[in-house]
Amino acid sequence: MHTEAIDPPGIAWQRVSTKYITVRLVEWALANIATVLVLSAPLVFVLLGWWRWPPLWLAVTVPAATLLIALWRLVLIPRQVRALGYAERDDDLLVRSGIFFQRTMAVPYGRMQYVDIAVGPVERGLGLCTVKLHTASPGTNARIPGLPAAEGARLREQLAARGEARLAGL
Amino acid sequence: MTADGQFAGPALPPGAAPGTTGHPDDEWLRVHPASPFVRGWVALAAITFFFGRDLFERTLQGQPVFEDGFARRAPWLLGGGAAVLAVAVLGFVLTWYFTKYQVSGGYVRVNTGLLFRQHRQARLDRVQAIDIVQPLLARVLGLAELKFEVADAGESAVRLAYLRIDDARQLRATILSRASGAAAASGAGPTAGADAAAPPGPGNPSASFGPPAPEAPEIKVLSVPPSRLLGSLLLSEQSVFIVVGGVASVVLSALTDNRAFYFYLVPAALGLIAGYWNFFNKGYNFTAAVSPDGIRLRYGLLDTQAQTLPPGRIQAVKIAQPPLWRPLGWYRMQVNVAGYGASGSAAEGNTRTILLPVGRFADVMAMLSLVLPDPGTDQPEAVFTAGLGGRDSGGGFTTTPRRARLLAPLAWRRNGFAATDTALLIRSGRWWRELVLVPHQRTQSLALHQGPLARRFRVADLVLHTTAGPVAPRLTQAGLDEARQLFDEQSARARLARKRQTTEQWLRQVVPAGEPTPLPVGPEPGPTPGGAGTTEGHTHYQQEGQQHG
Repeated sequence: MHTEAIDPPGIAWQRVSTKYITVRLVEWALANIATVLVLSAPLVFVLLGWWRWPPLWLAVTVPAATLLIALWRLVLIPRQVRALGYAERDDDLLVRSGIFFQRTMAVPYGRMQYVDIAVGPVERGLGLCTVKLHTASPGTNARIPGLPAAEGARLREQLAARGEARLAGL
Repeated sequence: MTADGQFAGPALPPGAAPGTTGHPDDEWLRVHPASPFVRGWVALAAITFFFGRDLFERTLQGQPVFEDGFARRAPWLLGGGAAVLAVAVLGFVLTWYFTKYQVSGGYVRVNTGLLFRQHRQARLDRVQAIDIVQPLLARVLGLAELKFEVADAGESAVRLAYLRIDDARQLRATILSRASGAAAASGAGPTAGADAAAPPGPGNPSASFGPPAPEAPEIKVLSVPPSRLLGSLLLSEQSVFIVVGGVASVVLSALTDNRAFYFYLVPAALGLIAGYWNFFNKGYNFTAAVSPDGIRLRYGLLDTQAQTLPPGRIQAVKIAQPPLWRPLGWYRMQVNVAGYGASGSAAEGNTRTILLPVGRFADVMAMLSLVLPDPGTDQPEAVFTAGLGGRDSGGGFTTTPRRARLLAPLAWRRNGFAATDTALLIRSGRWWRELVLVPHQRTQSLALHQGPLARRFRVADLVLHTTAGPVAPRLTQAGLDEARQLFDEQSARARLARKRQTTEQWLRQVVPAGEPTPLPVGPEPGPTPGGAGTTEGHTHYQQEGQQHG
């Protein structure tokens, strides 16, 4: 497939840490393995003869399809993480994500209302953090996950300083 | 009660003249003493109704008012009831007593609560909108609720319920004149800079602003006749559903010989009538006016509401035309205003974000000239006409490229954008026509989106993020190169526009270009709102306003 990136040309993207793949893998495992196990329960019951419904083909298809989708997403994770990137320009921060569904967002420094740093248990173990930018719009969903803790702190300070310099009203 | 910002409001001591006005600045005021009862009248009415009906029926039937067994316990019950009532009334009174408000030094402050005290203060120059609401009973009593909105998207920052209507208007005028910077500017001279945030206190010149601000003069821009409102309701999508549903029920009944289908119609009809009534009640007598304070919207049949939107507070505008309205040339306008939020309570939010419930092309242009006084183009009429009804590249619009017509077989010639010096126009929809305007300096952030299908056709979506509200600007299926270019240009334009906007106090904006000013320009060049100024503060207002006009 034609995979021309949608971002403006000539931007030096900073990539997030590859250790973030581990975080995504753990998240994937927690979400998907449990789901597949629960969905497989009817199959077990049908095989054991405890249940008469659903029919065998349905009991097989549902967990199998779920498993396939889950595996497909698993395969995508490393590429998705490599597709994450951000770039500090003079007046705004660019954040990009996605391979199939690409998104490039520009958040002007003067529009930032506040900056969050969040650290989950797995991220903490790996020394990573997530930086989140908030503007007055609920549509601004700008998350930069998988930053090394030091880089996250630097970015936050940088954003705060630039935001102050260019502060605008609503 | 205290936490949600609903408190008995401020009022003057009973008997104080509406000239409240003479109050020194730091005096704490209370809402009208009748407020708790106006707000609690539903409960009182319900109690009266139940007991009253019982009594009435018994009397009619010649029965004793109380049965024997009941009569013996009656004193206790009455005593208990009276105690509960007394506690409730005491609660009302205490809440009322401990609720005080004050407007001084660039802030409005409200203290509430007896056990859990809440002190809230909001900066006046952060005002996004001020509403004066009069529910029916309050209207009968000559009271009104004043809502002060800041960009919080949730509850109103300050709700004062209830004030005497004259006091509410007076307070609104005072708040607006200070928020605009007119009061501070006239009273303070050169010392007060652009920051209204100067701490209140004896040193703050604006605190010494003595006489009340006069209400800013206003010019009526348009009104919606009830007949047109009724027509717009009859021609709404809702009506189509009714007709389709009704026909379907009748056909089903005839086919199946089952009368049951008719019964479904009864509750449906009741609900629909309620819906229609709600719209009619809210939209009745809709009037828009312009004053140096901003846009004034008034509407309501039984419950009336008056909104004031100061200049530059409108974040995005949507002009929509459903297919049934097209033969009549009617349009509906909705806005995003930071203080109104997505829809607070659904019904309330919906009506408050309506800028024009139904209007003709001339009305739309008049409202646009208020929202966007500087259209940023030489031929605003041509551009907006193309945006509302045009296709292809007329009026400077860039549409979806022909290669992507399979993605939007009907709308690809409509979907498009045009950028003027002050705003981005996004149009869409072949049948449900829409035009969205976002002033450049109101863009929060923007994003390009592209899915796999769009990539095949080399198109992308551009999303502009604005504050919560009914308008969600999204340019769909623009050519990739155009979208990318727009993404860059739009960032630059938004940056420039932000630089030109220097302060929240709209009368003090130092930059003349691109700033919304209250003076209408363009197709509706009414007389300037000046000429009527009598007081000194007022004349100042006018001069300031005209400098920017």
